[in-house]
Amino acid sequence: MVGDIDMKKIILNSFVAATILFAASCKPEIETPAGTSAGSANFSKYIAVGNSLTSGFADGGLYLEGQKVAYPNLIAAKMASVGGGSFTSPFFTDAQANGSGYLTLSALVNGTPTLNNVTTNLAYRDATHLTKYTGEVQNLGIPGMRVDLAFSAAYAAVNPYSERLLTDAQLGSTTYFQFIQGRNHTFFSLWLGNNDALGWATNGGVTVDATNVLTDKSTFALLYSNLVNSLTAGGQKGVVGTIPDVTAVPYFNTVTVAALLNAAKAINPAAAAIYIQTGTNTVRPATADDLIRLPFQSAGLFGVANAAGLPYGLHPLNPIANNWVLDKDEVIKVKDYVNSYNSSIKSLASSKGLAVADTYSYLNLVKAGVTIQGIGINSAFITGGAFSLDGIHLTPRGNAVIGNVFIDAINSTYGSAIPTIDITQYRGVKFPN
Amino acid sequence: MKKILLSVLLSAPLWVLGQGFQVNLQGQKQIGMAGAGSALPLDEASVFYNPGAVSFLENNSISAGVNPLLFKSAFRLSGSNLTEEVKNKIAPPFEAYAVWGPKSNKWKLGLGVYTPFGGMVDWGNDWSGRYALTSLNLKAIYFQPTLSVKITDRIGIGAGFVYNHGEVNLQRALPVNFPDGRSGHATLEGTGKGYGWNAGLYIKTLSNISFAIVHKSKVITKLDGGTAEFDVPNSLRSSFPAGNTFNAELPLPATTTLGIGIPLSKSTTLAFDASWVQWHIYQELAFDYATNTSALADTKSARKYRDGSSFKLGINHQASEKLALRAGVGYAFSPVQDGYVTPEAPDADRYILSAGLGYTPTRHFEVNASFFFEDVKERKQKNIETGLDGTFKTLVYAPGLSLTYKW
Repeated sequence: MVGDIDMKKIILNSFVAATILFAASCKPEIETPAGTSAGSANFSKYIAVGNSLTSGFADGGLYLEGQKVAYPNLIAAKMASVGGGSFTSPFFTDAQANGSGYLTLSALVNGTPTLNNVTTNLAYRDATHLTKYTGEVQNLGIPGMRVDLAFSAAYAAVNPYSERLLTDAQLGSTTYFQFIQGRNHTFFSLWLGNNDALGWATNGGVTVDATNVLTDKSTFALLYSNLVNSLTAGGQKGVVGTIPDVTAVPYFNTVTVAALLNAAKAINPAAAAIYIQTGTNTVRPATADDLIRLPFQSAGLFGVANAAGLPYGLHPLNPIANNWVLDKDEVIKVKDYVNSYNSSIKSLASSKGLAVADTYSYLNLVKAGVTIQGIGINSAFITGGAFSLDGIHLTPRGNAVIGNVFIDAINSTYGSAIPTIDITQYRGVKFPN
Repeated sequence: MKKILLSVLLSAPLWVLGQGFQVNLQGQKQIGMAGAGSALPLDEASVFYNPGAVSFLENNSISAGVNPLLFKSAFRLSGSNLTEEVKNKIAPPFEAYAVWGPKSNKWKLGLGVYTPFGGMVDWGNDWSGRYALTSLNLKAIYFQPTLSVKITDRIGIGAGFVYNHGEVNLQRALPVNFPDGRSGHATLEGTGKGYGWNAGLYIKTLSNISFAIVHKSKVITKLDGGTAEFDVPNSLRSSFPAGNTFNAELPLPATTTLGIGIPLSKSTTLAFDASWVQWHIYQELAFDYATNTSALADTKSARKYRDGSSFKLGINHQASEKLALRAGVGYAFSPVQDGYVTPEAPDADRYILSAGLGYTPTRHFEVNASFFFEDVKERKQKNIETGLDGTFKTLVYAPGLSLTYKW
């Protein structure tokens, strides 16, 4: 019986030991290189220079939720583990969180969206001016900013988003180029120039004012190098972003000629063609190479008869007006300009040893569709997940994806180990419940 | 002689790969020996390990055991500095066996109820791979009535019919957002059934070295009319209709095992099992929805498993009349190819370590305990289908206990 007791003890002790081991349940460890190196870069003070994309503009407006997930803000948060400091942005207050106002999706019936404007909790101090923001700013993204207009003090004073950041003394005398200087940055991102092409394209290839000029190629190269020279004057390192192909965004790929024709045929089976007025003022049947702007969807013009009883867009004598259409020659032209801008950006970056976030190539991949972390992302309007309700600017998810394009470029150029952004933490378009 | 036999087996071409959803917990004695023992008529668990050896069991017996299993898997998204872990959930693989035959006769009847395949992973609703998977709970319960016959004093054969009752609950997040920003969610749940067989040959040579050849057939488990629930914003409801159902098929692989039992002394026996797990039948995971929409097509996810294999070496030492001590080591090759590793089975080649003990207080009663540990190697993967890119590392802990009544 003594033996029995010993054995009971053995069994008991074994189980106690097993239970302890079980409870401690040694965690599985994953060995990875320590993610703490800044490589040859210094992220202690990062500034982000750019336009609406940099500011976090989305859904046709600038509002607090978008500002918080702007790609520079997501990058800055990840820089924290590699020596990054704080990152300040001109956030709207919670009371004025809806900023300029923005679009929401209120219904989606058979794939046709109904968009509404948010008009509460806006940040206007009068009819046209946004509430001023004073204080340190590192997210320097200004919606609408262009490379050419970065050198215009007059433009900085009339653009509501830069106007809110300028003091009264600076209004009319300070350009965006001057505004971004003197900030003692150690690292910068520069993603500017989209509007130098997009401004013209989103106006259907029609120039009305300075915001829809197609910036001259050599002017672009010169002014862009002025910007880069200024940002690297103290030997700072940084990353520049290329300019996406304007045809890679839903704004130009949603209202297709084929879709319009199908809609017309559903009402009148005899409808044979969609007629457009081109940039050279000729009228012709539209082809798949002619791109129609997204807002045409809700403009209420299509098929409406004019005084002569001719339906809009369906008769050569009542064509879709030039400003609604980026016709195929205009598409070729704007692509050529973007390519030229991008070669200027890349050669300048290469001569300065800067990282290049090639958003041009990346968004072309997105156009074809990518799958990241189990999420299918493409450039389809609303369902694609990357682009917000204005068809041009990014959703929070799109910002996270683009943020990783920048992080990858920075890490590979400077040997740093900025952790990547978990894109699953960021939403796509909100669908009505 | 013994050495030669061992080296021949060990030098056999490394048959392909071995785990996936396979659960190697079917008998406390064998578990204590890393899962080896097909060539040893150890106890009523031979119904599973080798029906051919059942007729060589000395006693009639009935037993039941359980192995609470903790599957601890961790993931690090490529480029991230955060490690995410599955929630602690205990999966309960269990086994129950009964063996009966007239004492003097050459045949025995057996019944086994056991869980040879399964998976329980819950990564939670917030992890970085949530759009690939949030949780999986998969159970396959095999019922196996068996007949075993002693052809000669040294050769036994046996076979059993297998009925599988399968249950699956698969959940993942959907990348569509509600107005409050939260994601949609899909839950696929169903039960199914399948049939197969398990047959084995047991040979005890004159030198008392024993051999086993065992084949467990594949069991194609069909799930019909499972529920497919999609929690999505109402504006997308027409794309994800309520009350939808699905059919799916989960092929569970055949396993062929060669085993050797080598008595080292009167009280010590060595067992070696080499298993070839024919996972190649698991080429895709397909869901056929009763109602399809433009957003909800039938899905076919490539799995492209290769065959798997495992090698297990165990030792059983009868320390005293009442106490047996056991230990084992093993190695298993994963059936999952690069590019096809998923969070539902974050598989890789693995080491197996085990220990066990048995205690026989009386002629009729026996208690067996085991501790089973698997160290699944770290594996960095980018899944071809989901793009989920990161490193998985898994440890498996399974203590077990069984009670046996013999007569």
